Amino acid sequence: MRTLLFIAACLAATLASLSCDPVHDSAVDALGAEAPGVSKGPKHRPGQPCITCHDGSLGSPQHFSVAGTIFLNQEDLTPANGATVTLISADNNTAQAVTNSAGNFYVTPQQFTPAYPMKVTVDYTGRVRAKMTSHVGRDGSCADCHTDPAGPTSAGHVFVPVDGVTP
Amino acid sequence: MSGRFFTRARALGLFVASTALVASSVNACNVPATDGRVVETAPDRATFAPVSALLERRCGSLDCHGQASRNLRLYGNEGLRLAQEGDASRPSSTVNTTDAEVTENYLSVVGLEPELMSQVVREGASNPLRLTLMRKPLGIENHKGGTLFQAGDSQVVCVTSWLAGHTDAVTCGQ
Ligand code: HEC
Ligand code: HEC
Repeated sequence: MRTLLFIAACLAATLASLSCDPVHDSAVDALGAEAPGVSKGPKHRPGQPCITCHDGSLGSPQHFSVAGTIFLNQEDLTPANGATVTLISADNNTAQAVTNSAGNFYVTPQQFTPAYPMKVTVDYTGRVRAKMTSHVGRDGSCADCHTDPAGPTSAGHVFVPVDGVTP
Repeated sequence: MSGRFFTRARALGLFVASTALVASSVNACNVPATDGRVVETAPDRATFAPVSALLERRCGSLDCHGQASRNLRLYGNEGLRLAQEGDASRPSSTVNTTDAEVTENYLSVVGLEPELMSQVVREGASNPLRLTLMRKPLGIENHKGGTLFQAGDSQVVCVTSWLAGHTDAVTCGQ
């Protein structure tokens, strides 16, 4: 009887929010509301872990395999518009994506599903190439490792350093 | 027997216990670690650094074992940093993994399965697959991070050589 009730409750919850995973729900909630004046779309939520929401689960927005935001500097959150992100899969397949005016880029599983570990480089027109020396183990959201502030558990937001290696 | 007697006895016991605790922590030289893990026959810390470097690189990214919540918790210069209070350490490719971080990785690795680890070392690493540390990356046991080692590859040789007491640093660096 209890079980039935639980299943019924879950069904109801699923219908209401199209999700029955409290951990996932609270991770999404923790990211807060949309910024005022920015509509849900390619330029929203710069710097956030896109795939926490865009994870392909039932009722989620468009599924991304890799997504994130590139900023110009370490010091502030000026977006890097038109930066090219190159993703190198463990099986040597590569994909490229170019950031929009919010600094955001995203790749769908149809376009590219990396085998991990994945390597990443970022090129910014007329500036530099920034290469991530370490690799990504399994997580397609840059911001899961690149959150602010930088500290023992985070590399800080992704930026294209002025003194990076010239391609 | 009155409840009161019990209470007194309890209080006395508590006093003795806490005195012992204070005494032991003052004289902390030969007390087991507070989490109580004891590995009777541990592989060598002195030759662990090349093994640590391999594990950091292969397993220790921030989205995998470079997380404080993992049983196999790995620190490293390009992953989770061991922060001292007020310290601004961050993952970076331009600094090195610290000795304290290597020690933490060592403790994490030997403390995963203390009895099995002791056995594997006593056996001269003739059966390293007793360890989850080996079975998971080899894909023999379900592993969320996938299959990362192949039987006989340099990574397996590296870890096994350390377990056997003669770390093959050259192979570890490959
Ligand atoms: C808190 C959850 C959340 C986060 C984080 C998030 N999004 Fe979204 N996103 C949504 C929702 C909800 C929609 C609207 C889907 C719809 O309208 O059907 C959306 C829509 C989009 C769309 C339009 C998709 C379409 O099919 O029309 C794009 C592109 C997009 N987001 C990109 C991103 C990028 C890039 C990031 C990270 C920088 C990101 N989002 C972070 C929830 C999120
Ligand atoms: C598993 C965690 C992790 C993920 C996921 C991750 N990074 Fe990194 N990244 C790091 C760490 C740690 C560093 C610092 C050490 C280094 O350079 O490897 C770094 C450094 C970088 C750098 C070098 C300069 C800088 O900005 O700090 C770039 C560029 C970069 N990452 C881009 C990306 C992009 C783009 C993504 C998403 C596609 C991404 N990273 C995803 C962990 C990660």
